[in-house]
Amino acid sequence: MKLELGFIKINDVQFSNECAVKDGILYVNPEEVKEYVYDYDDVKQFVKSISFDIAKPGESVRITPVKDVIEPRCKVEGPGVIFPGVMNHKVDTVGSGRTHVLKGAAVVTAGKIVGFQEGLIDMTGPGAQYTPFSKTLNIVMVCEPVEGTKQHDYERAVRFAGLRAAGFIGQIGKNVEPDEIKTYETLGIKEGIEKYPNLPRVGYVHMLQTQGLLHDTYVYGVDAKRIVATLINPTETMDGAILSGNCVSACDKNTTYHHLNNPVVAELFEEHGKTINYVCNIITNENVYLADKQRGSDWAAKLAKLLDLDAVIVSEEGFGNPDADLIMNCTKQEKQGIKTVLVTDEYAGQDGKSQGLADSDPLADAVVSGGNANMPVVLPPMDKIIGMTDYVDVCSGGHAGSLRPDGSIEAELQIITGATNEMGFNCMSAR
Amino acid sequence: MKSPNRIRIVTNNPLVKQILSDWYTVEYYEDATYRDILVKVRDMVYNGYELFTHPMAGSVKPNETMYKSIVVGTDQKGTDIDHCKLMMNALITCDKFKPTGVQYSDYHYKDFQLIDYTLLCGALDFDAIAGLSKANM
Amino acid sequence: MAYRVVHYINQFFANVGGEEMAHIAPELREGKVGPGMAFETAWKGEAVIVNTIVCGDSYFAEHEKEAKEQVIAWVKEINPDMFIAGPAFNAGRYGYACANIALEVKTQLGIPVLTGMYEENPGADLKDKILITPTANSAAGMRKAAPTMAKLALKLMKGEALGASCEEGYMPNGIRVNFFEKERGAKRAVKMLLNKINGKAFTTEFPMPNFDRVEPGKAIPDMSKVLLGLATSGGIVPKGNPDHIEASSASHYGEYDIEGWDRLTPEGWETAHGGYDPVYANEDPNRVLPVDVLRQMEREHKIGKLHRYFYTTVGNGTAVASSRKFAEEYAQKMLKAGVQACIMTST
Repeated sequence: MKLELGFIKINDVQFSNECAVKDGILYVNPEEVKEYVYDYDDVKQFVKSISFDIAKPGESVRITPVKDVIEPRCKVEGPGVIFPGVMNHKVDTVGSGRTHVLKGAAVVTAGKIVGFQEGLIDMTGPGAQYTPFSKTLNIVMVCEPVEGTKQHDYERAVRFAGLRAAGFIGQIGKNVEPDEIKTYETLGIKEGIEKYPNLPRVGYVHMLQTQGLLHDTYVYGVDAKRIVATLINPTETMDGAILSGNCVSACDKNTTYHHLNNPVVAELFEEHGKTINYVCNIITNENVYLADKQRGSDWAAKLAKLLDLDAVIVSEEGFGNPDADLIMNCTKQEKQGIKTVLVTDEYAGQDGKSQGLADSDPLADAVVSGGNANMPVVLPPMDKIIGMTDYVDVCSGGHAGSLRPDGSIEAELQIITGATNEMGFNCMSAR
Repeated sequence: MKSPNRIRIVTNNPLVKQILSDWYTVEYYEDATYRDILVKVRDMVYNGYELFTHPMAGSVKPNETMYKSIVVGTDQKGTDIDHCKLMMNALITCDKFKPTGVQYSDYHYKDFQLIDYTLLCGALDFDAIAGLSKANM
Repeated sequence: MAYRVVHYINQFFANVGGEEMAHIAPELREGKVGPGMAFETAWKGEAVIVNTIVCGDSYFAEHEKEAKEQVIAWVKEINPDMFIAGPAFNAGRYGYACANIALEVKTQLGIPVLTGMYEENPGADLKDKILITPTANSAAGMRKAAPTMAKLALKLMKGEALGASCEEGYMPNGIRVNFFEKERGAKRAVKMLLNKINGKAFTTEFPMPNFDRVEPGKAIPDMSKVLLGLATSGGIVPKGNPDHIEASSASHYGEYDIEGWDRLTPEGWETAHGGYDPVYANEDPNRVLPVDVLRQMEREHKIGKLHRYFYTTVGNGTAVASSRKFAEEYAQKMLKAGVQACIMTST
């Protein structure tokens, strides 16, 4: 499957009466966005208000609590729409043709979903180095629920609101000439063997967090709890085939932005045709039921074998029980002769002395770490808060008194959105 | 929903008791802490009861939430070493996290109950939302 | 004011002599000696070696207590800002001495310490207790080791926070520290995968805990026919300890003949182990090496025969690598003699 990504470099974002991209500046009319977002029953019914704001890199701004981050993109050529299964319920297969990307911009949804809430983004200061979203121009949507709305209804509504907003804003770039076009193509089985007979066949076992409210992932709109391990073309992820329904934990859950910009996909494509034949992605879930974990890892191994893969990269999402899936995926692949590299993060305690993973096996001899999520950090007060800081103490990584009277925050690294991403998005690691 | 035969839910979550008692055998320990539930289930597993769900469901941390529900078998089948390891690691992981000292309000408790409940429903293929509606919640 | 450092080296690096001079007792010298020059060069005046302590490797191994006492006494008086030992590269007894004397200084005097050696040096067992810089396995590695150690030492003297082990140049010591790599994780993963696929070396960023699991051997259905061997890490040796097995950190094992001994007697046998109160073992060595019970079992045909040679060493503070080496060797001897099962007693 072949996809062209047209990157439109966005250097600034401003609210305006019009929606356009001119000279690298993205002009957005928040009223138009709001109108489009509200033109959807769930949002109409459950979201009382959405307030828009912009946070730029270097500004003394803190966004919290963060639900999701989405990159504005739109389909320009080829079947389907961006975020299939969500936007207009269209589920046509995506990942081919051409897609435009407003590179440098991001939509951030914020606001309370439940009484405890995850995620914080600092646009400057020591906290900024730990999140990729201190470097994006963020259009923040702070949402508020209609009184009495059930949490699961509200979660869905906010999720759709963010995706609709990103889809609408992405459309602004539809007719803009991209600054850079990159082509990504994976080949069919037979074609791949013929074209790259001597290159090792590599796949990507992509684990998705799928456990319950605030812990879900959607594939073409399907709750991934319900799927058995299956194949997906890497370019499909670039069009939003996989979307985040999850907020926990802030540091190691994959935002929709991470799914769209999957770093493992990107790095495998860099080597594709040169040192490897990048065959496809195998997506599998991280269910709570133990038999599901076994079935999932057995199935991923089965698919890898069927595809005659020589090696796979396995990435994780979330904390605790997914470590079991990670190790199962690793050992089952290794035992059938398929080499693995695992990407994960660690919870080594605040002093760094604890065993960082909840499961282990000597076969897991090639591991990339996203760092220790328990590391204590102190974040200075910011001039402006977008959202509310009520939840800081109760976030994962927070404690009583985390939010100090002067507005500074003392908490664990896991409170920062994307800090220890387990797809290898960041440069941070630990030894 | 998964069959309720030969399994029980070990929990300290009143929401689970309230909604799932109609469908499953719920062993409800009102005063148990999160860690107490882990210890109880560990002892059951050591004594040969089968473990059906992972003790560390969800990414909400052990020192954040106070509720835990785990599905365990009702027949003594013989001790499974891997399940013992799982429970041991769950306790080691739980003890890694320092108490936060946060004073929770009622809505915090309710939300943590809800998350634990939906994690459990996900594991049992039980329609979480239908369950809530039926209980008028 | 420059920081003041005391440097510990062995007889070889002090140019006193080789193995034949390994018995020399500790000597206190003024200023830097031998490799100390490399450290001072790297420090560019920020720190100086005020004294060097030279000690023979055999002396330290055989008189550990006295050696430690003397070194501590000197260091206490000098009161330096830092204590550096080695680097020992692959020299086992030197590495053991460096690591243990550094630990002693740290524990007794609270002075920052640092040593360096090859990763497989038995002294490296202490990497969780003191900082150890990994070095090459021969003195040819001095050119790289000295500046790394010097830089790290300066940080320790200044009390600066340390970064991750791979950044600063110390063996991972079980404390995970976050730091920023140059490349993002996904890229590092793909590189690691390519190396793995192509059979090239790679280093994992997260070493799995080492459980050192041993597959249990097959059960023996009929013990009455078996030639049973006996081994111990409890240090039982013939009276007088003729082969001088060390009370701690044993450098070798002993093979002794119990043919004709119906039970071990306090006149003929004793314990060399320095890690437990020897009174009861010396009163009745069978408590540690159960010859008496096994002879009884021979008579009752519960076992076939007790093998005439038993193997003994002292487990106290002995390096894991050494223990492994001893057992690999004497297991072969046992196998050659037809031993089918072995009881290992430990204390």
